[in-house]
Amino acid sequence: MNKMNQTSQMMTGNLAAAWGARLADVDYIPGFPITPQTEIVETLSKWCDSGEVNARFVTLDSEHSMMTAAGAAAATGARVFTATSSQGLLHAFEVLYTVAGWRVPFVLVNVSRALASPITLEPDHNDVLAARDSGFLQIHAETCQEVLDSILMAYRIAEDPRVCLPAMVNLDGFYLSFTREPVIVPDPQAVKTFLPPFRPAHLGFKGSAPRALGPAVFGGSVYSYFRHQMHLAAMNGLQVHEEAAVEFERLFGRRYGLVEAYKLDDAEDVLVMTNAFASKGKAAVDAARAEGKRVGLLRLRVIRPWPAEAIRQALQGRRAVAVLDQNLAPGQGGILYQEIAACLYHGAQRPRALCSFIGGLGGKNISEGEFRSVFEQTAEAGARGTGIGPVLLYTEGEHREMEQLQYLAHDLKTGK
Amino acid sequence: MVSIRFHGRGGQGAKTASRIAGTAAFLEGFTAQDSPLYGAERRGAPVSASTRIDRKPIRERGVIARPDLVMIADASLIPDPSARVLEGVDERTVVFVNSPLAADQARAQFSIPGRVTTLDLTGIALEHFGKRGAISALLGAVAGRLAGLRQGSIREAIARELTDLGLAPPVIERNQTVAARCFEAVQPVELDVGARQAMAVAQLRAPTYEPPTKGTAGITAGPNSAIRSMSGWRTFRPVLNPELCNGCWLCFANCPEGAITIKPDGKPAIYYPHCKGCLDCVEVCPTDAMTVERETEAANNT
Repeated sequence: MNKMNQTSQMMTGNLAAAWGARLADVDYIPGFPITPQTEIVETLSKWCDSGEVNARFVTLDSEHSMMTAAGAAAATGARVFTATSSQGLLHAFEVLYTVAGWRVPFVLVNVSRALASPITLEPDHNDVLAARDSGFLQIHAETCQEVLDSILMAYRIAEDPRVCLPAMVNLDGFYLSFTREPVIVPDPQAVKTFLPPFRPAHLGFKGSAPRALGPAVFGGSVYSYFRHQMHLAAMNGLQVHEEAAVEFERLFGRRYGLVEAYKLDDAEDVLVMTNAFASKGKAAVDAARAEGKRVGLLRLRVIRPWPAEAIRQALQGRRAVAVLDQNLAPGQGGILYQEIAACLYHGAQRPRALCSFIGGLGGKNISEGEFRSVFEQTAEAGARGTGIGPVLLYTEGEHREMEQLQYLAHDLKTGK
Repeated sequence: MVSIRFHGRGGQGAKTASRIAGTAAFLEGFTAQDSPLYGAERRGAPVSASTRIDRKPIRERGVIARPDLVMIADASLIPDPSARVLEGVDERTVVFVNSPLAADQARAQFSIPGRVTTLDLTGIALEHFGKRGAISALLGAVAGRLAGLRQGSIREAIARELTDLGLAPPVIERNQTVAARCFEAVQPVELDVGARQAMAVAQLRAPTYEPPTKGTAGITAGPNSAIRSMSGWRTFRPVLNPELCNGCWLCFANCPEGAITIKPDGKPAIYYPHCKGCLDCVEVCPTDAMTVERETEAANNT
């Protein structure tokens, strides 16, 4: 149980996710492959075969079936782990809402990958954020270590009787999934202390005691009650997360907040980001500070429940705030920008300017120069007192390459 | 605004009757709205439909909570609390019951607070159509009469709605003729559509979190369908004549409620408490061993 027993090794985000499931001592793993997630279920199937993980591993015929199996297994009282990505998550979409309504706590890892069309493999967050209203809790990780740790925390929070909802842990495809960095593997005995056996009072099927989950209700009022209970359960997750974070720090020495503040103390302008690209954002903050700019970064880690109070605390009184959404809602703009704007509205000292930037779509790099542009435009907006956006991070150089591709795709062939 | 709420069982035609009334009002230049409510489709299950008629734009939606006129296609629905047939009914409400009983008898037997009118639409349909079938045209015509609509517009509305359902022109014509008789058999009434008392401000309740044992949508009480009698769903009951039965078991295989069992001698037996009167067994019987008897209000308690 002491922190000295924690050893570190080089591992990918996918391997870290598999380790999270292994340490959580899961009972059942329904799987289906999809790039860039496959390594997770591959690793777990290997461990199930070798006996290193004492779980039943089953390959399903689709993500829709996989998520149904995950929810149904959790309803029997088993601890369940599963993983998917992008199109796979969307294929399972109907079931996400269904199993969340069953109030079955299990952990789903999503490896973010931008959605078709056009099809791609690299990440942005339109996949995971599409599921933001499903009833799943959501934790978004910046590092491979955080992937592993967040899975353990996700089980603890999800299984708490004050919550009892499934949880999603998100990591970026390629930038974490296939990226190796040192990860400390927590001591399994300490994990057993952190995660006692799963004994849900409201779940557990037996042949002798049949039960129906999620039966039909008509007229609306019964439905209203149960859906609202899900909302209250998710909101309880804020407090339960804090308690879990305290216990996690006691056992493993690492502390996670609902949000992470990076050099915010004296910052007049703040950049808001999520996931792996927040590492780049922190480097950009350091570079700007070296030039004398008072900037900082707020990383959103828990997206559901939405930590409105923590966000308000971090952003109130700033000159300007730039929300960098790695997603795009066509016809609207950045998804997280909307939620941040809503939770700042009633604040007495809301920022003078709220700016919306869209960057990193389809895994597009966000260069140092682009971050400089973000800080520059945000500072101007703050001085002016009016926000801007959505502004797409996409450079002149990139557009010249785009035009070359359009020439190859159309003009060359038709001889124009 | 005139608000008419129809109640029937799936398959009886309450929804179509509501549309006939809506279309007839529309043809007369009124603003009309008709809107059915039913759950997972199931023949015999309670169905309701709401028709609103006004001169002004109708700023209402969904089920009528305070009807001026209630049209009951099946009296067996009245005691079923899930059907909510008498909800919002008071002494000013006009209630029509499809029943051979006289109005006063029906009023007393079903404890209806409103002004009751009756007519045996099922009996008329049996007499004129010679078989069991939907009574939508007849119910729609009576509703139109009570609401003060004209016979001509109802005739046209029946044609439109039954054509939409794909019925053949001779069938539609017969429906129009019989509907006209029903129209004439009922006296128009003065509907009390005066101003209503405004509702008090609702006391909202802020729900608190309850443990998942309570707060999860689930049923743990075990199977309870065995104790649910569906006898009240029947307008007609199937009756087996064992002499004619060839033991083919088609009725047993086709019963959607599992209400038909096979006895040791290989012949079927109908368990009436679970029979909802859909008569699928009658349809599939190749030897006409299944016959049909009409239920009466007092008798269908088995």
